[in-house]
Amino acid sequence: MTTGLPAIPGRVAYIFDEPNFDIDQIVGIENIKLQDLDVLTRVVMKRFDPDFVSQVRAGDILVGGHNFGYGHPHIPPMHIMRHLGIKAVVAESFAPTYWSIEIAAGFPQIPCPGILDLAQRWDELEIDFAAVCVRNLGTGASMAMAPVAQRDLDVLQAGGIVPFLRQQQQLKD
Amino acid sequence: MGHTITEKILARAACLASVRPGDEIRATPSRLLAYDFPGTTDLFFRQMKQDFGREKVVKPQRIALFIDHMVPAREPKEEVLHQQTRAWAAEQGTVLHERKGIGHQVAVEEGYAKPGDFVLHHDGHVSQLGAYGTLAIGVRRNLIEAFISDQVAITVPATTRVNVRGALQQGVMARDVFHHILRVLGPGSCNFQVVEFTGPTIEQMSFDGLQTLTGLTMFLGAISSIVNPNERTIAYARERTTTEGFEPLRSDSDAQYAAEFDIDVSSLEPTVAIPPSPDLIRDLRDYLGLEVHSGYLGSCASGRLEDLEVAAKVLKGRTVKAGFALHVVPTSQRVLSEASRLGYVETLVDAGAFLSSPSCDYCYGHVATMAPGQRAVSTGTLNVPGRMGSTDSEIYLTNAAVVAASAIEGKIADPRRYLA
Repeated sequence: MTTGLPAIPGRVAYIFDEPNFDIDQIVGIENIKLQDLDVLTRVVMKRFDPDFVSQVRAGDILVGGHNFGYGHPHIPPMHIMRHLGIKAVVAESFAPTYWSIEIAAGFPQIPCPGILDLAQRWDELEIDFAAVCVRNLGTGASMAMAPVAQRDLDVLQAGGIVPFLRQQQQLKD
Repeated sequence: MGHTITEKILARAACLASVRPGDEIRATPSRLLAYDFPGTTDLFFRQMKQDFGREKVVKPQRIALFIDHMVPAREPKEEVLHQQTRAWAAEQGTVLHERKGIGHQVAVEEGYAKPGDFVLHHDGHVSQLGAYGTLAIGVRRNLIEAFISDQVAITVPATTRVNVRGALQQGVMARDVFHHILRVLGPGSCNFQVVEFTGPTIEQMSFDGLQTLTGLTMFLGAISSIVNPNERTIAYARERTTTEGFEPLRSDSDAQYAAEFDIDVSSLEPTVAIPPSPDLIRDLRDYLGLEVHSGYLGSCASGRLEDLEVAAKVLKGRTVKAGFALHVVPTSQRVLSEASRLGYVETLVDAGAFLSSPSCDYCYGHVATMAPGQRAVSTGTLNVPGRMGSTDSEIYLTNAAVVAASAIEGKIADPRRYLA
């Protein structure tokens, strides 16, 4: 795993510990076709924590359980999360369709078996790509990241599939 | 050490002697498939020109587009999207299949499911081409890479082999086999892998059933699924392949698998996936008698001839319960035509079914929307709350025979009493 991605420090804004979590629940299935970020801001996380929007801040991260993103994931849930300042999602493991969507969007997704034991809500974590681990800055404990394909790391470093492919195209030209 | 069919297909598509799980390769898909939907094809068309400065798509002859969602258009903006798709296809010289049915089924009918081919789509249910020994993967927005480049990056997936044995009881269908496998293996059991189905039950299963089985494997966490082609597959593919040939591949007997499972389905009974998630598999008998208000027989996971046939058997000479809405949506125009020729359509309509033209729209509640408090039995793909209407409605996923039997009783019903 070789990447120049800088470490991502961040506070845990929420933990979705339920396995096979369907991210569409973050905005509610009735809202998965919405694109207006103001409207999405009003509905996001209402069923989990009505105060989420007032408490989240730029640079926070989310934590997920096993097979995070299971189902038929849509774009708006993580679009609004990025809009609110979420910088990454660390989960025990990810469902592939969700993974594919968010890596293509340039949104760091970090597989880290054991993360549910490592992190509590509001803990400060650091995703350390150089050390290939996630660290709890409060307790000092850390957990190894699971391997990520080099291509996915390169896409993340470029900021998403389109900027990555543009870089590749420029290199060819 | 041998190779799986998936490894062989990818090695050939990458012009490599061999590949192993975890290898990051560049492979050439033989076919790109896509249906138009906001945020998919319209995005690719725009990105191609605006982000990559390309007026022409790479290899237009390998692309087939489908208009199968929002058919017929309900709002002007939907028809505008279709107009853009038609114009793009004409401009680029790509094939467009419109109003022919659900794309994953039409792809099979058009001969795009060639044994040994590597196919990409943005939608994961394309895995059902695996019924014919085709490796078909849904890559979501990464499909743009194949619009601007001959090759795409892919990590060679590991394979889980599922051996299925035992004869299915009456009233038990491929849908139940998939449900049972999901119940045994678990929803994240095959994450980022390909599922390879083998065994006597698979050898005996109809292609309709195999498409149901392989089309749903995203709910095992798999990126695709595949069945080794046999003589029957090759004969089927040959009938549908016109100018181009194909070279089928099979797994070696000493291929390496990430995991292997042996599943006996001889005593399997009808099943149901209860809300709110497709992985909540239960025995149907525990839900018999639950009041339901509508039924949907269709989608890319069902609605094929075998499904319509069993529904016609259940409903022949019987009547849909008053007030119950039974929506029957054949998967393609060809399926509809054949079902009509065989008399299934007449039987279903005479019984009180509401028959619609092929479309994806029932599956996601774009039409036939459910009200709060309503319950449906469905052969659709997904049962999360709100999938077919109100988030306060419920969807119970079952096989086609159960949908038909439930339509008679207005409650979840066992089809076996009607098939005996």
